Parts: sequence; structure tokens; C-alpha cells
Amino acid sequence: MSSRADLPILELSGVGFGYDRDAHFISSLSFSILNGQFIGLLGANGSGKSTILKLASGLLKPSAGQVTLWGKSLHQYRQKDRAKLISYLPQFLDMHIPFTVRELVSMGLYPYDILPDMTAEEAMELVGLKEKSDIPLAQLSGGEKRRAFIAMTLLQGSGLVLLDEPLVNLDIKFQLEIYRLLRDLQKQKNISILMALHDMNFAMQFETVMLIKQGSILGAGTPEEVLTKDTIRDAFDVDVTVRKQDSGEMIISYARNTGERLQD
Amino acid sequence: MPSVKITLLIVVSLGIFFVSLFLGPTLISPFSPDPIEKEILFSIRMPRVIIAFLIGIALGTSGAVLQGILRNPLADPYVLGISSGAAFAAALSLLSGFYILGKFTLPLSAFTGACAASIMVGIFGWKRGSLLPERLLLAGIGLGFLFYSAMMLLVSISTSEGMRRTVLWIFGDLSMADWSVIPYGLAFIASGLGISLLRAKALNALILGDELAHSLGFSVQKERLLLFISVALMTGASVSLGGTIGFIGLIIPHMVRFFVGANSRYVIPVSALCGGGFLCISDLIGKTLLSPMEIPAGIITALIGSPYFLYLLRRRDVFQG
Repeated sequence: MSSRADLPILELSGVGFGYDRDAHFISSLSFSILNGQFIGLLGANGSGKSTILKLASGLLKPSAGQVTLWGKSLHQYRQKDRAKLISYLPQFLDMHIPFTVRELVSMGLYPYDILPDMTAEEAMELVGLKEKSDIPLAQLSGGEKRRAFIAMTLLQGSGLVLLDEPLVNLDIKFQLEIYRLLRDLQKQKNISILMALHDMNFAMQFETVMLIKQGSILGAGTPEEVLTKDTIRDAFDVDVTVRKQDSGEMIISYARNTGERLQD
Repeated sequence: MPSVKITLLIVVSLGIFFVSLFLGPTLISPFSPDPIEKEILFSIRMPRVIIAFLIGIALGTSGAVLQGILRNPLADPYVLGISSGAAFAAALSLLSGFYILGKFTLPLSAFTGACAASIMVGIFGWKRGSLLPERLLLAGIGLGFLFYSAMMLLVSISTSEGMRRTVLWIFGDLSMADWSVIPYGLAFIASGLGISLLRAKALNALILGDELAHSLGFSVQKERLLLFISVALMTGASVSLGGTIGFIGLIIPHMVRFFVGANSRYVIPVSALCGGGFLCISDLIGKTLLSPMEIPAGIITALIGSPYFLYLLRRRDVFQG
């Protein structure tokens, strides 16, 4: 007998979508996200990562196929009800908005009439910004601003979090901090996360990755299964070597000269 | 929440409203007014102060809302061309001497012009099922120039006696205020203010950007349209009550943010009251300074407000809270 835990939270079935410049940018895309999965979405610039996240969040409507959330069409949900189940953090954020950290983070509670378990104070503490809660966002560093937006998204309390390149423009320390924060939260609260990123070595930290090319899935599974020399060449049009360290970690090295194919 | 500063701003604004009733070219005793003072207070002073306060509320609120929905700190109620549409229609009726509705002719013409301009701006700003901020702004600027030029053309070729009145009205004129226009002005301004207050959370979300507003559970198209309608109602009503009074919609929300932060749930009501108080004091100065001659309130708002705003700008970046 199937339980709610076995059901996919979100399912894209035969989804098609196009822009003015490319009417069939995405065609027949199908995948699902299960409860508690943390998936890294990888692909070259323009491969469709952001479009897929926007389709999954309901921001874009598919021209074909359907997106279902807990078995019901995403676009049949009331806006507030949908916001309690899915949160989406876009790649491009206005870092000059005039709010303080507390004001911004508290907006994560907007979908609720009755306040959920987590408070804005706890969300700010989670991302290490409690001491700066009354400081205007404009006065924070780039990494702190991004952490404040992530705190707002987490406070929204949805079971599925969609993040579009949340690590972009952050140095490696903040990248790791934010990744570990998300991974810990995902494990503690059993939420599901679909996160777009472009650093393949960073993707090795994920349990599951999905590699995208021109709106289609080239592969999905563990990083070792998906990120091979051939799939990376196909997706990014670069040659790499993929090596396994003695510790078991996978390392991807790029060719020294762009466009020059490495010889085995 | 900066509750002390909010309380102070509210008390000062309401204080100015009450003081304006008793100060002016004729000083009126609040405790024992004689019959002439009573007549001045109830027939002239009170409707004028109420209308000034209502216009200030409308302009302060409209500015706060527009700067949010257009995501542009330079937006104000007049940038959308609504006031130029109202001014053109009002000038047309003043200069043509077309007074079929008596004293209601001017406010009604202005309100009709404001509605027509709002609809035109809305049509030009609409694309892909939504009002787009950049299109709205550009459509407003374009139509605003068109209406303004048409109005100036009317003024320049006219030899009518209505010309002086038209010019005064362009700069904001409260000298013709009376009780009869207050109920309808109050209805439109209260409706617009009510919508803005009820949608303050949505406005905060729109300031974050359309994608985050969607993620937080708001219908971006619906919220922007509702807030645009609230601005159109308030601007149309305010222009028809007292002409085109500049500066308040642009600057008051920035001044308020400087004191109370950027949260629209505080910025909207405080901008409304501060806008009201600011126009009352500007009108008080305008009618008292060179009495019996009157300086249009719109000129005083700019003369007092601009230096104060520049002083604030030097002290802190008000655009960033």
C-alpha cells in the first residue's frame, strides 16, 4: 500500500515550454522529486536550469504536459496554499532592497494566517544573522545578503525548496556554509531541495544530480554515475578528466587550453 | 518597529491639521470664537484644511505605493501622466467657459481626465497579461508630456478670463475649496487608501521582485493592477480637488522611510498622515506669508520640501532605508 511518503512531491510529465526566440525550448520533460531528496541541477549556461525551476515553481505555465504537486495540478492550487508547499529563490535578487534583515526574513511568513513552528528569530539564527537582524540589507556583504534571502525562503516552511544558483558570486567558504546549512536542514526537517548550480566539483557533494542539456535530461543519479567524461563533454562542450581520489572523492579537472581535446 | 518615531510623526501631522484650523490671515480663538470667526472657521477654513489634508493623504499614499509597484524611487503620482490628463481636461473646461455643472464642472472634468489618462496608461503598460513596471513608467512619461503640451497649447492660445485661474490651478490651488466637493473626494481617497493598506504585504513582496512575490503566494498581476487602481483613484480625486500639487508624492515617502524604515505596513499610513500634515502647513504658509495675496500650495511644498530633502540626502542614503 502506498503512503504519502512514497508519493512524488512534485512531478513534471511530458512538459513542454517555449520562448519567443525558441518555441520548443523544452519538450517532453519528465522527472519527479521525492520526499527528502536533495538534487543538484547541473547544466551549461542557457541549458534550461532556470526555466525548469520556474516551471516547477508555477512561475511559468507549460505549453504541454503538466506539473503536479502532491498529485494535483500545480496551477489548481490557490496562490497561498501553493506557497506553503513550494518556495522558490531566483538567481537574480535585488540586493539593494530597502528592508532590514528582520523585515526581509519575516516575509517568509506571508503565506500564513496562523504562524508556523519556526520564527523569524530562529531563521535568522540558522543563517548566522541574528546579531544583524536590524541592519538594512544594503549594509551587508554579498554572502550575508544571500543568507538573508535563504532564511526567508526557509521560514516559508515549505516541503519543497527550489533554489536557482544560490551559491553564485560567493567565495568557497560561504558556498560550503550555505550548502552544509541546507543539507543539515534537509536532513532535520526531511524537506526536498532542487538546487541549480554550475560547479561540477561542488556537485560531487550531492547524493543526486541531474544533468541538463537544451532542456532535456542527459542523466540523473549519483554524481559518479552521471558526471562522466562523456556526459560532461556532451553537456558543456569541454574535455575533462574525472579521477577518483584515494579517499574515494571524485575530482573533475579541466583541459588546460579551452577547446583542446585531451588525449587518453 | 520604530513605534516612538511613528507615534511622533502621527501626533505632529494631526497637530498641524488642528492648528491649521485656527491659524491663518485671521487668527481664530479655539475656545471662544466670535460669530465672524465662527463663520470663517466653518465656511472657509475647515473645508479648506480638510481638503488639503485629504489631498496630502492621497499624494503621500500614492507616492509610497507607486515607488513600490514600479520599483523606482523617483516614481510619484504625476510620473504616470494621471495629473497631466486631469489638468488638460480641467484646463479645457476652464478655458472654454463650459460650466454646465456649475462648481462641480472643474473637479468632474479633472476626475474624468484622470480616469481617461489612467486607462490609457494602463493599456500601454499592459503586456502578456500583466502590467509591466517599465512599460507603465514609460507610458506614463510619454502620455504625461502629451497631455501637458496640449494643456500648454490651450493656455498659450487662449485669451479667456479662465487663464489665470488655470495657471493657479496648475500649481495647486485650494482657494476655491468648499464643503460640497468633500464627500466625493473622501469616498475616492478612502477607497484608494483602504486598498493600499489592505495590500501592504503584497506591496512589500512586489518590492522584492515579481519572482519572489510569486513564491510568497501573491498573484503579481492581480496585486499590481489593484494597487495601480488605488493610485488612480487617489490621484484623480486629489487633482480634481486642488489641482496639480507636486513634490508630496515623490518626497514624503522617502522622508517617512528615513524615520520608520521601508516596511509598507508602516510607510503607507505614516506617508498618508505626513502628506496631509505637510500640505496643511504648506497651505497655511502660502495663504499667510503675503496675505492678502495667496501663494499656491504646490509652490510652497516644493520650496520647503526640497531643501529638507537634500539635507536628509546628505545625512543618509534615504533610498536605501
